[in-house]
Amino acid sequence: MSAVVDARGLACPQPVIRTRAALQTHDAVTTVVDNATSQQNVTRMAEKAGCTVTAETREDGIYLDIRKQGTAVQAAGPAAAAPAAGPLVLTIPSEFMGCGDEVLGEILIRAFFHTLGEVQPLPDTIVFLNSGVKLVVTGSPVLDDLRALCDQGISILACGTCLGHYGIKDQVAVGEISNMYSIAETLLGAGKVISL
Amino acid sequence: MNGESYAVILVYSTSHAMRIEKLLAEQGIACKMIPVPRQISSDCGVCIRILRADVAAARTSVDAANIQVQGIAEV
Repeated sequence: MSAVVDARGLACPQPVIRTRAALQTHDAVTTVVDNATSQQNVTRMAEKAGCTVTAETREDGIYLDIRKQGTAVQAAGPAAAAPAAGPLVLTIPSEFMGCGDEVLGEILIRAFFHTLGEVQPLPDTIVFLNSGVKLVVTGSPVLDDLRALCDQGISILACGTCLGHYGIKDQVAVGEISNMYSIAETLLGAGKVISL
Repeated sequence: MNGESYAVILVYSTSHAMRIEKLLAEQGIACKMIPVPRQISSDCGVCIRILRADVAAARTSVDAANIQVQGIAEV
């Protein structure tokens, strides 16, 4: 069984929600999107759910051919997303570390990300929220450290709503722009969440 | 600066560290504010990491700006 989800013109996170719904009842879904962010978000959700995704860019949109792989079918549901020892997720809700003096807070966050490259265990995913998203854009004092972490395979997600709120969505220099749907799934599917 | 040999400028306060960082950046000396390495101190403090090759230039700049430092250590 296959289904087609026409997600063109839909705002995030609708393309993800509709694709996910279609995957509950179909083994193969073709989702059509009209922008790169939607493509990334849908692809990420599908791959996390154990599907293969093939993208084809046509004149009228980006066609994502999503196919379930064997036993991964159930992984599309939230109930299967939380194994006992799941990923380690770090959330960064502010551009500063700790409450109090902001100058000190910036020094601490810079020291933190530098140190993160030298200690174990590393988180699997780092989620940047609210003013924390300022750390993933051009001119961020921790950009080099984040790039190094990214190179080590750590997934960096920045809240798209937050980037939009601060007017810096076009300045993202590391990681992926994400949405609350993916962020909520990441948190709920984690083995452990550490919030700074 | 991967694979390079470094030195750290040890300072008396975070505000000193910030002044030095700004000063060195203005002079084109590559630097990074980092926590004081464990082997040097167990205190929670920050220092300024520079390339060993830049130690002399950094020392001259810091002295000229009259910023007191605890010392410069190779790491």
